[in-house]
Amino acid sequence: MGNLFRSEEMTLCQLFLQSEAAYACVSELGELGLVQFRDLNPDVNAFQRKFVNEVRRCDEMERKLRYLEKEIKKDGIPMLDTGENPEAPQPREMIDLEATFEKLENELREVNQNAEALKRNFLELTELKHILRKTQVFFDEHEGGLNPTESMTRALISDDSVARQTPSGPVQLGFVAGVILRERIPAFERMLWRACRGNVFLRQAEIESPLEDPSNGDNVFKSVFIIFFQGDQLKTRVKKICEGFRATLYPCPEAPADRREMAMGVMTRLEDLNTVLGQTQDHRHRVLVAAAKNIKNWFVKVRKIKAIYHTLNLFNLDVTQKCLIAECWVPVLDLETIQLALRRGTERSGSSVPPILNRMESFEDPPTYNRTNKFTHGFQVLIDSYGVATYREVNPAPYTIITFPFLFAVMFGDLGHGMIMAMFGAWMVLREKPLAAKKSDSEIWNIFFGGRYIILLMGMFSMYTGFVYNDTFSKSLNVFGSYWSVNYNASTVMSNKDLQLNPSTTDYQQYPYPIGLDPVWQVAENKIIFMNAYKMKISIIIGVFQMLFGVCLSLWNFIYFQRRISIYCEFIPQIIFLCFLFLYMVILMFVKWTNYGPSTGDVKTGPYCAPSILITFINMVLFKTNSAPAVCDAYMYSGQQAFQMLLVVVALICIPWMLFAKPALILRNKRKMHVPLNSNHHNHAMGSENGDAEAALSQAQVPPPLPPHKEEEEHDVGELFIHQGIHTIEYVLGSVSHTASYLRLWALSLAHAQLSEVLWNMVLRNGLMFEGWVGGIALYITFAIWATLTIAILVLMEGLSAFLHCLRLHWVEFQSKFYQGMGYHFQPFSFEAILDSAAQGPEE
Amino acid sequence: MIGCIFNIDGGYLEGLCRGFKCGILKQADYLNLVQCETLEDLKLHLQGTDYGSFLANEPSPLQVSVIDDKLREKLVIEFQHMRKHAVEPLSTFLDFITYSYMIDNIILLITGTLHHRPISELIPKCHPLGSFEQMEAIHVAATPAELYNAVLVDTPLAPFFVDCISEQDLDEMNIEIIRNTLYKAYLEAFFNFCKELGGTTADVMCEILAFEADRRAIIITINSFGTELTKDDRAKLYPRCGKLHPDGLAALARADDYEQVKAVAEYYAEYSALFEGAGNNPGEKTLEDKFFEHEVRLNVHAFLQQFHFGVFYSYLKLKEQECRNIVWISECVAQKHRAKIDNYIPIF
Repeated sequence: MGNLFRSEEMTLCQLFLQSEAAYACVSELGELGLVQFRDLNPDVNAFQRKFVNEVRRCDEMERKLRYLEKEIKKDGIPMLDTGENPEAPQPREMIDLEATFEKLENELREVNQNAEALKRNFLELTELKHILRKTQVFFDEHEGGLNPTESMTRALISDDSVARQTPSGPVQLGFVAGVILRERIPAFERMLWRACRGNVFLRQAEIESPLEDPSNGDNVFKSVFIIFFQGDQLKTRVKKICEGFRATLYPCPEAPADRREMAMGVMTRLEDLNTVLGQTQDHRHRVLVAAAKNIKNWFVKVRKIKAIYHTLNLFNLDVTQKCLIAECWVPVLDLETIQLALRRGTERSGSSVPPILNRMESFEDPPTYNRTNKFTHGFQVLIDSYGVATYREVNPAPYTIITFPFLFAVMFGDLGHGMIMAMFGAWMVLREKPLAAKKSDSEIWNIFFGGRYIILLMGMFSMYTGFVYNDTFSKSLNVFGSYWSVNYNASTVMSNKDLQLNPSTTDYQQYPYPIGLDPVWQVAENKIIFMNAYKMKISIIIGVFQMLFGVCLSLWNFIYFQRRISIYCEFIPQIIFLCFLFLYMVILMFVKWTNYGPSTGDVKTGPYCAPSILITFINMVLFKTNSAPAVCDAYMYSGQQAFQMLLVVVALICIPWMLFAKPALILRNKRKMHVPLNSNHHNHAMGSENGDAEAALSQAQVPPPLPPHKEEEEHDVGELFIHQGIHTIEYVLGSVSHTASYLRLWALSLAHAQLSEVLWNMVLRNGLMFEGWVGGIALYITFAIWATLTIAILVLMEGLSAFLHCLRLHWVEFQSKFYQGMGYHFQPFSFEAILDSAAQGPEE
Repeated sequence: MIGCIFNIDGGYLEGLCRGFKCGILKQADYLNLVQCETLEDLKLHLQGTDYGSFLANEPSPLQVSVIDDKLREKLVIEFQHMRKHAVEPLSTFLDFITYSYMIDNIILLITGTLHHRPISELIPKCHPLGSFEQMEAIHVAATPAELYNAVLVDTPLAPFFVDCISEQDLDEMNIEIIRNTLYKAYLEAFFNFCKELGGTTADVMCEILAFEADRRAIIITINSFGTELTKDDRAKLYPRCGKLHPDGLAALARADDYEQVKAVAEYYAEYSALFEGAGNNPGEKTLEDKFFEHEVRLNVHAFLQQFHFGVFYSYLKLKEQECRNIVWISECVAQKHRAKIDNYIPIF
């Protein structure tokens, strides 16, 4: 648990693996997920690496699996996801897997080809069936006329040719019939007209039911057409056009009897085909069902193999080709576990030589690794989305666990709304396992689910603050009984609009309500004024303490990194500045609360003379004297003015202190250290040359070692001052604006309370005003509206807004005091992460 | 001012196009590609670029034609996505770009049918950007007039075709003449359209189209030596929107051999540079490649300015050049003919 406060201590390690054992060892490390490998051959192309062939084989296997998966999905067969996690298979098993997939793929392709051929056949027959049926109608219509061919001839051929031809008997018209895609009809018709100069006659009818395209299984709509024409030339031309528009032509006998016979034949063939098709489908189904049982398992196996070979590609080969050299970042605490895993891997591979794990010195910044559990994970994510902590820097996440929900609750304080939120959070937490197993794709849901513990805590804290504000859906709860009583008689109360309860009389029991706000305020006219004064002060108090805490955390950082200069030149002036101005203001608030009251008897400590803290503070900073009515003291205690002046002057002195002290000291030190530093350097280089061979090797492996003390050497004077200037201005202006920024706690809280009150008064109250059964209906309707709006606006939208403001308070106001966030994530080689991302990848 | 209004309709697409442009392969990628030993290596490397897993579902062994198809498919999908989101006048502009592919397709189909190839064999060879509904029925026509009346009258190419109707029958020579007349009419129409659009679009596009016109004029002249095309007919085929118009074209019309063409180009600084050092000997780049290089340069320049349509044209052309490069490299890799593998034209 101790490591939640700082990121894990990391070390760079060098790993020597026997070639035979490398695969098994990496597989074990992948299961463990605690090692981040570095790419040792960054300038080698992807296809020139050692294990590129294996990777390629895995790609090929994955492709086959994807093909299988696609086919399985097409048939809607459920894929069995047992959630089991098979170990990465041995390299020799790869061949078996490959053979299995190969066989399956070939079988499936063959079946598919057969099915497609059959379907094409089926489609042709169905089209023919439709043609026979539809053309029947065309022919029937024409036969209905007096003399079919003659009437057609007259319609089609110009008058003089009819005149010429009639003596030699009726002209024989040729025709073709076929099927065409429905959307192509208009262009087809126009083209026919143009190309044949209007000498053809086209009839068409739609096929109502969609037909299945055999190649991709889509439904297509088609139309039957029949074209009448005269002469061979036109025939070839029409046929060409049909071909061009991908119309399929079918032979269609002219005599009705032939057509009927053909239709019969087609029907019988269709039936035969149907049975054959059914059998093919059954076979396909069997193959797929068998594959569906294992496919997830196979995917996991193949992806694991692939990941292992990818990792092996990052390794270096040593000179003798006998072993592989890897470099990796490892958490120091887990060295033992990793050693164990390596030993297991060696045993599994049957190799005799144990792997060697050496710790190495490195000048590079190690990655930041915060070990989290499911509870702390959400909070760590909140912090990391602002910036990953610098290595071994104070991690704000553990404090955020409490402060985040608390600040949220200050803004969201409402017992009822808090309860809804807490129940939602609790539901997600309690049903964690089944919900997590579902793996929803919905982004919004995943965000909610990822933050389930945050939501739960936010809800519970809101219930607490709601209880303190005594606010439940904008109404107060009278739990302990009000400590105020009305001593006016009934007629006075009824006739007077503005009555006051004086706390110094018997109206008030002289001691406060046990916890939270007295419910009598619910009916008071000046409730908002009272609440504002209270919440504003609370906001500033919370804010100042949180900022103070942030500054103190920076002290912890400086001590840890042994930056003495920063303690003297940054931390101390900073804390003085903050304490002397803002903490002093907070103390004044407490003084005002304790010293001034209605029942003290003395007018100087009575309500009339209570000073405004805000005015006092403004006067203090501007060095103005306080003014007060004649009977009152201008100051809260004697010597206040002089003391305040002292505070402000000291605080102002802190500004140049912060601005100049650190760069000046650094410059002075540099001048002193310059010569010795250089000689140190020299010695260091000599030392490593004389060191043992392993150390020399490890030095050589480190890609260009960064020069030590680079900070001091590289920064020139100007840059140093500018940097410090920015830092100081940010802090000084920041502490003013950040303090004011905490007022958002009050503002949002006020907005939330008012909004829920408006909602109650404008919606639900209307439903409560009717009597009798009408009231039931009215309440039914208004409650539905009220409940919907409560959830949608007050809980969801207001919750979101309070969440964002709270996030801002943490990121900006709190973390700017100490947090650098310049680190980078520790990304261990872990099968779990790889499988997760692979599973999500294809669905996107 | 134009910039403010441009983004209302074209901002999204321009951004998209510039994003696509960033995926164009860099010189470093080419250096890696030419090192490939097999097509599998090539695939592996392309996976690391913007192409991603576009070949992932292709069973090995890979064929160059598959790569070519997939490259083109990707480009066409991108272009059609932009076309579908475009509104006037960008949509017309994009349509204009596709017309050149239509012309190519028509000529391809007519030539194919002339050689009695079945139409089903020809269709897959057509460029998908230039396909239109009546395309497959093109072999109905036996004469240009028929072609116009039956097939082309409904297509946007109809106005360009009006000049070709006079030709008597479709033989090899006439098809070439039709192609060039069509192209001339198309280029001039596109040029005028861009001019009408005005602004930066006109600046950028007119530059590119003028070069395209001049290139065609020069190539037509060079290719016409030794054929039966008369000088008068040849002059009719020159697109009249380039920088060569009118003096250069007149001089080109009189040219009798390559040297004379070169002499004409001497008068124009940019073209004379292209003729310098162009040749067919090993170690020299062909004139065609030189032209391609110049085109790439012009197209890359189009991206230097904002708020204009030229980027869409340039993107398509650059991407096509890239496809040619990749196909060239894959051919060299597949045929183990590495001597000329460096003859691709780098873009960035």
